[in-house]
Amino acid sequence: MSAADVADRVTPPERHDILSWITTTDHKRIGILYMGTTMLFMTVAGLLAMAIRTQLARPGQSLIGPHAYNQIFTLHGTAMIFLVIAPFGLGLANYLIPLQIGAPDMAFPRLNATSYWLFLFGGLIVFAGAATNEGAAAAGWTSYVPLSEITVSTGLGQDFWIVGLALVSVASILTSLNFVTTAFIFRAPGMTMWRLPIFTWEMIATALLIFMAFPSLTATLLLLFIDRRLGGHVFDPAFGGSAVLYQHLFWFFGHPEVYVLILPFFGIVSEIISTFSGRPMFGYTGMVLAAFAIAGLSMGVWAHHMFTTGAVNNPFFSFVSFLIAVPTGIKFFNWICTMWGGAIRYPTAMLFAVGFLVNFLVGGVTGVMVASPPVDFQAQDSYFVVAHFHYTIGGGSLFALLAALYYWWPKVYGWMLDERLGKIGFWFTFVGFNVTFMPMFFMGLFGMPRRAFTYPDAGALPGLNLTATIGSYVMFIGALIFVANVIVSARKRVPAGDNPWNANTLEWATTSPPPEHNFESLPPIRSPRPLWDLRHPRAATSGASEGS
Amino acid sequence: MQSQALADDWKIFTYSALAVALLVWALIAVAAVRFRRTARNAEPRSQKENNPALEIGWTVAPLVFVIALFGVTYHIESDVERIAPNPDVKVAVNAYRWGWTFSYSGGPTVNGTSQAPPEMVLPIGQTVALTLTSSDVAHAFWVPDMLFKRDAIPGRVTTFDLTPSKTGTFLGRCGEFCGLDHAIMTFRMRIVSPADYRRWLALEATQ
Repeated sequence: MSAADVADRVTPPERHDILSWITTTDHKRIGILYMGTTMLFMTVAGLLAMAIRTQLARPGQSLIGPHAYNQIFTLHGTAMIFLVIAPFGLGLANYLIPLQIGAPDMAFPRLNATSYWLFLFGGLIVFAGAATNEGAAAAGWTSYVPLSEITVSTGLGQDFWIVGLALVSVASILTSLNFVTTAFIFRAPGMTMWRLPIFTWEMIATALLIFMAFPSLTATLLLLFIDRRLGGHVFDPAFGGSAVLYQHLFWFFGHPEVYVLILPFFGIVSEIISTFSGRPMFGYTGMVLAAFAIAGLSMGVWAHHMFTTGAVNNPFFSFVSFLIAVPTGIKFFNWICTMWGGAIRYPTAMLFAVGFLVNFLVGGVTGVMVASPPVDFQAQDSYFVVAHFHYTIGGGSLFALLAALYYWWPKVYGWMLDERLGKIGFWFTFVGFNVTFMPMFFMGLFGMPRRAFTYPDAGALPGLNLTATIGSYVMFIGALIFVANVIVSARKRVPAGDNPWNANTLEWATTSPPPEHNFESLPPIRSPRPLWDLRHPRAATSGASEGS
Repeated sequence: MQSQALADDWKIFTYSALAVALLVWALIAVAAVRFRRTARNAEPRSQKENNPALEIGWTVAPLVFVIALFGVTYHIESDVERIAPNPDVKVAVNAYRWGWTFSYSGGPTVNGTSQAPPEMVLPIGQTVALTLTSSDVAHAFWVPDMLFKRDAIPGRVTTFDLTPSKTGTFLGRCGEFCGLDHAIMTFRMRIVSPADYRRWLALEATQ
C-alpha cells in the first residue's frame, strides 16, 4: 500500500479504557500486555528467589521448612522459564515484528489476543496452586516422575501446574504461528527476507523451535495428567510404564526450550549493539545461519540432561552439545566485530548489552564443560549447573531483557527512562549478579545439591552461600532502582521523539508511540538499515542498485 | 571408575573454558574501550559488514577445538564407564524416601535413613561393582569427593564400577531431587585398607 492510502484511511479515535485493553487485537497493546504480565510474574518469582537466598544465607536455618522451600523453588523456576523469560521474548516480538517489517498488525490479530489470554490464565493457574490444601506444585520445574505422580505428590497444586502450563504451551504454539506467518507474508515492499532485522530473524528461528518442541511438552503434560487423575500408567514402571520415558519427552521439549529462552535475546542484543556502535550488524548472513544452526542442533541434544541415568548414548549427545558452541561462538565474534571500528555510545541499554556478553560467555563456556559427561557426573543437579544456567538465562537473557526495556521503552511510551538511575541500577545488577552466581560454581564442585533447603555447616559452603546471599540483595537493590526509575521517569516524561537512539530499523521510522496502524508512510527499504540509508543517501543509492 | 580420570577431565575442561573466556573477554574489553565514542572517535571508522575469510576462520577453528575436546571426553568416559568382568566386591544399593540400603554380595546388609545415615565400607584399590535401584522415586548416588554420581531410577537397574583410591570417610548424598528430606538424605563412604575391610566384614558377620 502506498503512503497516501495509509494516510487517507479513516481510523476511529483510540480508546484507552479497560474494556479496550481486554478486547484489543492491536499487536502493540497485546505486546504491552504480554510484557507487563511477565513483569508482574517476575516480581513474584524474584521475591521467591530472595526467600531462597535468605533461607540459605546460613547453614541449618529453618526460616522456611522443606515443604514450603520445595514449592518456592518450583514456582521460581517455573515462573522464570515459562512465565517471564520466554513470554517476554514473545511479547516483545508481538510488539516489534509488525513494526520491524513495516506491517500494520499481525497476520491473525484475534489469534494473537487468544494467545495472550491463554498465557495469562495459564500463569495464574500455576500460581493459584499455592491456594490449594497441600500448596503449590513442589516437584521442581522439571516435575520428574514418579515424584510428580499422584502416589507421591497427592496435592492439587501439581494438577494446577500441569493445566496452567498446558495453556501456556498452547499459547506459545499459536503465537509462533502468528510470528512466522506475519514475517513471511506481511513484509512491506522492499523488505526482502535478507533485509529483515536480526531480531525478527531470531524470532522466526524461535517460532520454528516452538513448533518442534512445545507439542512434546503439551503431550507430556497431558500424559502426566492421565497418569495422575485418569488411572494411566504411562510413566509407572510397576505397570510396564517408564520413568525414563518421561525424562526423554520432557527434555525433548526442555532443551530446545533453553534456546527459546535465549534466541530472542540474541536478537535484542544484536539490534542494540549495532545501533550504539553506529555500525551495521557484522556478518548478518552468518548471524542468521547461526541462529538456525543453533535451532537445528538444539533438537538433538536433549539427553545431555540424562548423562547420569546410564540409559542414554552419552557420546552422541555430548558431541552434538559440543557442536552448538560453534554457532554460538560465531554470534560472539560477530557482536565483537560489530563493535570493532564503531564509535560506541554507552546508554543504559548498551551497558546491559555488554553485560550480557560478559555474563553469557560464562554460561557458554561452562555449558561446554557440562556437555562432557565425566564433568557432568559431578556437576549434574549440583549448584554448578544452577550457576551455569543462571549465567545463561539470568546473566544472559535477563540482562538482554533489561537492555530491551531501556532501548524500546521510549518507542512504546513516547518518553525516556532516566539514564543516570539506569546506569546506577546497571552496576548494582551486574555486580550483584556475579557475586550471587559465581560462588555457586564452587558450591556445586564442593558437593552442594540443587533443590536443597539447607546444607551442612562444614568446609567452604557457609562462606560461599553467605556471599551469594549478599550478592542477591545487591541485585535486589538494582531491581528497586529500576522500579524507582520507572516512577521518576513517568513523572518527568522527557519526550523521546521518533528515534532517540539514531537507530536504523523500521520501528524507529514511526512516531513514539506508533499510531494504531503503525505507519503513516514508510521510507524506501533497500537494506536491513532503511533509516541509515535515509541519512546517508549517497551510500544508499550506490549500494542498492540491484534492488531498484 | 577412578576419580583420577574424572579429575583429569575437570582440569582439561576448566582450563579450556578459562582460556576461551579470557580470550573472548579480552576481545570484548578491547572493542568496548578502544572504540567508545570520544571527541577523537566521534564517527564510526568503518561500515564494513562482513569478512568471509575471518568468518570461515572463526567457524572452523572452534569446530576443530570442540572435536578435539570430544576426543578427550570420549577417551576419559570410556575409562570411567569400564565394567570389570570379575569385581572384588559387589554391593547392591537401593535408594528410597529417605534412606539407603547397601547389600554386600555374600556379606552384610546395611540400612540407614536420613535421621541415622548408613555407612558403606569399601577396601582401597579393589574393584567394587555397584548396582543401583530405587523403590519409589528417582534418586542419585553421589559421592562429591569422588566427582561421581549415578541415578537410581525405579524400574531400572544401573551398574557402575568404583575403584577407591584414597582412604578416609567421605560424605555421600542423594543427587536427584526426591522430596522433603532430599537435602539430608546422606550416607557415609569409608574407604579402608583391605585388611581392615576383612576385619569389618568379620565383625558384621558376628552381629
